[in-house]
Amino acid sequence: MQRKTAAKKLPVKRAKRRATGSGSGSGSGSKKPNLTLAAVEAPHKAHDTRGKYVYCVIRAAEPLRFGPLGIGAETAEVHTVNYKDLAAVVSDTPMAVHDPTRDNVLAHERVNETVMRKHTVIPMSFGTVFKTREDIVELLRSAYEAFNDVLVKMQDKLEFGLKVLWDRDLTLREIENEDENLMRLKNEISSQKGSTYFARMQYGRLVDAALQARSERYVGEIFAELRDVSVASRANKPIGDRMIMNAAFLVARDQEAAFDAKVKAVSARHEKLTFKYTGPWPPYNFVNIRLKLERAKEAE
Amino acid sequence: MAIERASGGTSLIDVLDRVLDKGIVIDAWVRVSLVGIDLITVEARVVVASIDTYLKYSEAVGQASPASRPGIDAKAHEEVLAENESLRAQLAAKGVRTPASKRGKQLRA
Repeated sequence: MQRKTAAKKLPVKRAKRRATGSGSGSGSGSKKPNLTLAAVEAPHKAHDTRGKYVYCVIRAAEPLRFGPLGIGAETAEVHTVNYKDLAAVVSDTPMAVHDPTRDNVLAHERVNETVMRKHTVIPMSFGTVFKTREDIVELLRSAYEAFNDVLVKMQDKLEFGLKVLWDRDLTLREIENEDENLMRLKNEISSQKGSTYFARMQYGRLVDAALQARSERYVGEIFAELRDVSVASRANKPIGDRMIMNAAFLVARDQEAAFDAKVKAVSARHEKLTFKYTGPWPPYNFVNIRLKLERAKEAE
Repeated sequence: MAIERASGGTSLIDVLDRVLDKGIVIDAWVRVSLVGIDLITVEARVVVASIDTYLKYSEAVGQASPASRPGIDAKAHEEVLAENESLRAQLAAKGVRTPASKRGKQLRA
């Protein structure tokens, strides 16, 4: 819960920060803080106005390059900062807070998808910029154990998303037709004189219970069918009235085709449900590493 | 119905759902306040606050039902009613009359 709230507030805070921060960052006072300007100016600036945006952590002992895919207008070269057998995948970027705009968020994801083709990744959440290469080495060094542990666990595993939606009214009509009690109550309500309050209350309760049971049955069946071809699953809260399932599955790379076939078979069997099937994703739903920064002096 | 898999980057909602607060997360306040994390000159150090990996199967849960659903959980409600019934039976066996036995269902929390 707390996490959600924090995430929603973030863009607001970030926007404010940029409004106050970019003025002091720019040496020429008359210019407006403007993204395009910042990007154009940046290459001529001193080193301290540049930072490194971090996309993910992978296992790699040698420096790697992934092409000009970086976040921001300049689409900088994506490369690695290495420490022992770990590497952070980064690109150079102006030292500014990146707002989660469509372009920025998709750029973050695009880099991760590219890296993921050949590597197991631990994805970084959006918008993390470090000032120097040394800072990133320090990050890898400090959290080495955690990253190493998670990389082992996520080795050769991919995430897939599966959302299932239904037509609530259609399902309701089906349920009414199948259930005699409901049918009788409905007729009673429409023919009865005077107050139908209690009949309507009872009808509402039965309908809700029946819909709930039906939804749980569908979701249970789908989860059960995908169990054999996945390593783990997570059920997120469905979004909106129509969604009955909002799940993520962790799938071994060599099971990808089997999982794919199974999802298609399941969806073919439930023709009244709508399936939204996405991936492969970095294992966002299966990894959560929270890092804090502490002042070195306080820690002593 | 034939469905096709969409690659991750095609739906902004799906991307946002993941990238904002999942994976490796550095304390949001620090991220915002420093504008670029500076470990070397600030003499800060990274501390792992928590690591979670989810390598289990989650319980299958369907959507919770909409607004007209009564506040009382139907199952708990039935249990309470059953308990009332058995208590009443015990009282009746001892020859005690209860007001509830005439009115039928009564919920006691």
